[in-house]
Amino acid sequence: MANKADVLQGTLTLLVLRTLEALGPLHGYGIARRIEQISRDVLQLNQGTLYPALLRMEQEGWISSRWGTSENNRKARYYSITGAGRRRLARETEDWRRMSSTIERFLGLDPGSLAEEGG
Amino acid sequence: MSWVAVAAARLRALFGRRRLERELDEEVRFHLEMQIEDNLRSGMKRAEARYAALRSFGGVEGMKENYREQRTFGFLETTAQDLRYAVRTLRKSPEYTISAVSVLALAIGANTAMFSVVNTVLLQPLPYRSPERLAMLWTEDPSRNFREGRSALWDVEQWRQQSRSFEGMATFDAMSMFLTGPDGVEQVAGASMSPGLLRLLGISPVLGRGFTTDDAEQRQRVVLISHRFWQARFGGSREALGATLVLNGYPCRIIGILPAGFQVARIDADVWETHSSRQSLRGREAWFVVGRLRQGVTLAQAQEEMSAVARSLRDQLPEDARSRTISVVPLSLYMVGAQSRLGLWMLGGAVFCVFLIAAANVTSLSLARSVARMGETAVRAALGASAGRIVRQLLAEGVLLAAVSGLAGTVLASGGISLIRAYGPGNLPRLEEIALDLRVLGWSLAITVLAGILVGLSPALASLRSDLRPPGAAGGRSVSGGVGIRRVRRALVVADFALAVVLLAGAGLLVRSWWNVNRIDPGFRSDRVLMMEISAPVAFSLPAKQRFYQRVLEAVQATPDVEEAGLIGELFKDNNREELVMYERAGSAVPERMQFAAEEVCGNFFKAVGTPLLRGRPFSSADGPDAPPVAIINETMARRFWPGQDPLGRRFQRGGRDSAGRWYTVVGVVADMRVQGPERTPIPQMFVPLAQSAPPRNVDLFVRTTSEDPQALAATLRSAVRSVEKNASIAKVGTLEQQYEAYLTQRRFQMSLLIGFSIVALLIAAVGIYGLIQYSVATRTQEIGIRMAVGAPAPEIFRMILREGLQLTLAGLVLGLAGAFWMGRASASLLFGVAPTDPWTLSAASLLLIAVGVTACCFPARRAMRIEPTLALRQE
Repeated sequence: MANKADVLQGTLTLLVLRTLEALGPLHGYGIARRIEQISRDVLQLNQGTLYPALLRMEQEGWISSRWGTSENNRKARYYSITGAGRRRLARETEDWRRMSSTIERFLGLDPGSLAEEGG
Repeated sequence: MSWVAVAAARLRALFGRRRLERELDEEVRFHLEMQIEDNLRSGMKRAEARYAALRSFGGVEGMKENYREQRTFGFLETTAQDLRYAVRTLRKSPEYTISAVSVLALAIGANTAMFSVVNTVLLQPLPYRSPERLAMLWTEDPSRNFREGRSALWDVEQWRQQSRSFEGMATFDAMSMFLTGPDGVEQVAGASMSPGLLRLLGISPVLGRGFTTDDAEQRQRVVLISHRFWQARFGGSREALGATLVLNGYPCRIIGILPAGFQVARIDADVWETHSSRQSLRGREAWFVVGRLRQGVTLAQAQEEMSAVARSLRDQLPEDARSRTISVVPLSLYMVGAQSRLGLWMLGGAVFCVFLIAAANVTSLSLARSVARMGETAVRAALGASAGRIVRQLLAEGVLLAAVSGLAGTVLASGGISLIRAYGPGNLPRLEEIALDLRVLGWSLAITVLAGILVGLSPALASLRSDLRPPGAAGGRSVSGGVGIRRVRRALVVADFALAVVLLAGAGLLVRSWWNVNRIDPGFRSDRVLMMEISAPVAFSLPAKQRFYQRVLEAVQATPDVEEAGLIGELFKDNNREELVMYERAGSAVPERMQFAAEEVCGNFFKAVGTPLLRGRPFSSADGPDAPPVAIINETMARRFWPGQDPLGRRFQRGGRDSAGRWYTVVGVVADMRVQGPERTPIPQMFVPLAQSAPPRNVDLFVRTTSEDPQALAATLRSAVRSVEKNASIAKVGTLEQQYEAYLTQRRFQMSLLIGFSIVALLIAAVGIYGLIQYSVATRTQEIGIRMAVGAPAPEIFRMILREGLQLTLAGLVLGLAGAFWMGRASASLLFGVAPTDPWTLSAASLLLIAVGVTACCFPARRAMRIEPTLALRQE
């Protein structure tokens, strides 16, 4: 890959919720690292946008936060997913899957069928 | 509903800002440290690790701003920040803040107080059902200048039957009533209403019931009492219903209690009785008539119909009443006459002018401040503040200033309102209702906001348009924005002076009118005269009343310290009836219809009130009941009937050819007395001896005392009257001076207020021009230094500065005179004996304005004169 694409604003929620669901409570830095790791460095997070997004999700009630101690004995804020968050994650996953399969179908058709399907 | 959760979270985050900031800081710091550690572990050097961490994070401050904006309502936070900053800057410059707040508070307070008067008296609808459909009906004769005449019941009945514009009509009038109580007889304010009046007005009694037609027809002795009377006499207890009052000697039953503050067309009585609305004979024209227009009928239509009704009735009227018309006037217009309205609007406009002047002044001050702060604004802009943010901050400052002034002003206004209620003209209707209600507070808020916008927005706009160069740049003082601001400030000063001239001219005209009114000879000498209204007991027969009055006079004349004493039926009249009078001329009797007043006098009445007897003789004991009827007439009557001739010995008769009235012989002529106040021309008046006529129900007693304070004699005189008859009723004790003064209160009120407003306006304008010229000298210090260095003498500098101020003053004067012309013409009916474009007044106002303007400029001009050239040149 020549460029590392920016993460789409809308999908950040999806990624964060999925990360928290899968890996349990994490601090902000940890979330950023994991997202970059899991995406195998395809997704480079502008870390500045992460914290406002985390704040937004907390306001919506999808994640909750509390202060704890990190691995190296520093004070850090840990985020965890809530019940509402899990429901949101399920919905967003469903939406994403539906959207991407529609686009897949679109891209998978040969030019001839495109003209046919239109009829 | 997630936006609700988000909004709630944002609201919560408004509190505990400091803690949240700390947490954000910690979180960001943690993130960066972790990133740095990772970078170190992957082999970067210390410094490089830090840079890389910061780079990958993005702009920290920018991210924090985004975060903050997300956290709460960004708008609220920045506004709170702006307000905190505004408080700090205002506290740092106390002279500006204090002078701005005091000027604005005064202006807002005066405006609010004045608006509360206008609101209650002019704007608030009368407390009846659909008051805009209520109208008074008057009997009038425009050809003889007879207006607002009361009507006869028979007429009203005809109007009712022959017109379709009105849902109903009702009649009412004040009556004198005497209440017999345990302590004796006292007079109470009474009135009589036709049974339909309450229903017509849409008013119900708070207790009991109103009158029915049966009550009236069957002449039941039932009364309604006022709320005030109920509280005072019965303590508000329900036992009042059904209680008996002895009125005019007869026991009457209370059947209802009227709501608080009930009055009709200025008749505010404590006891109301009823009368039958039908009458077979025409009877006296003595009743006020109020009607309710039908839905959809306009006033003009009703007036047209009633004029037609009058025309058709004419043939049925006696010959002397033939030219009568009916006039339909909205009740609200009757309550507050056109002239009072104009006066109030004029005062309202004047006080708003003062507000504009004050706002202009404070705006000018704030503009001056903004010039001084241009450097600060430039720095803020360089640091990244958007234009909107800067404007918001300046606006916040203006609004804060205005809010504080508004609060202070409203407090002042409530004080002013109490003053107005205590000392305002007594004949201003609904004076007691004036208060700080919602609409008044709304007005106060509106002008406060207006002031805030003016004071805050103008420097904001100025700062936007100015070149925001950083301070210290070459020619920093002559920045283009600075010049623009100067121009605006000059315009504001000119506007200040223009408005001040208008107010001064108005005040001057009112002062001259007042002077003219005061110079009018009332026809009597009101010093040292005590008056009181004395009523014979109702049960007395006519001869008994006669004897009573005579004996009262004798008792009073025997009292020490009494110089002269006399009685008259009634001195001051409010409404005059028209009468037909026949007089002898060249051997035949000439009838003429005119406004006319006739009174009975007894004793040395004319001497007591100091009315000179111009010709003939006063009444004497020889003018008894068996002697030929004599009369004394006033000058106006003598001139009207027998111009240029000697009226003594001539005869006249009241009533027309068919009347059986007696013929009076004129034995004396007195000077005209202004019995309707100084501003109305006297009407023909005749006086007859009490002994030769039927004694009236009550008389006015006038006593000229030897002491300077007539009131001191009041108690002695009271007991003298009571010694004659202990059941006599005494009311309205006061001096003649006070009674006459009552006609002047409204004019004096208007004049005093306008004088006050114009003085305040002049002061504010003076301060404004002083500030501007002072600033001009300060900015031109270098230039002045140069001038002096190349040889200009100090007086020339003085003249130069003074000229600048004089230019502004004259510009304001010219504009103001134009305004004064227009204003004068618009309010000409408020003036008395002086033209609205009176050159003396306008010249005096102009001179005063120029004097004040020049004086205000003298101080900075003197300072300019004293500038040391060497110091000035060194100054940057």
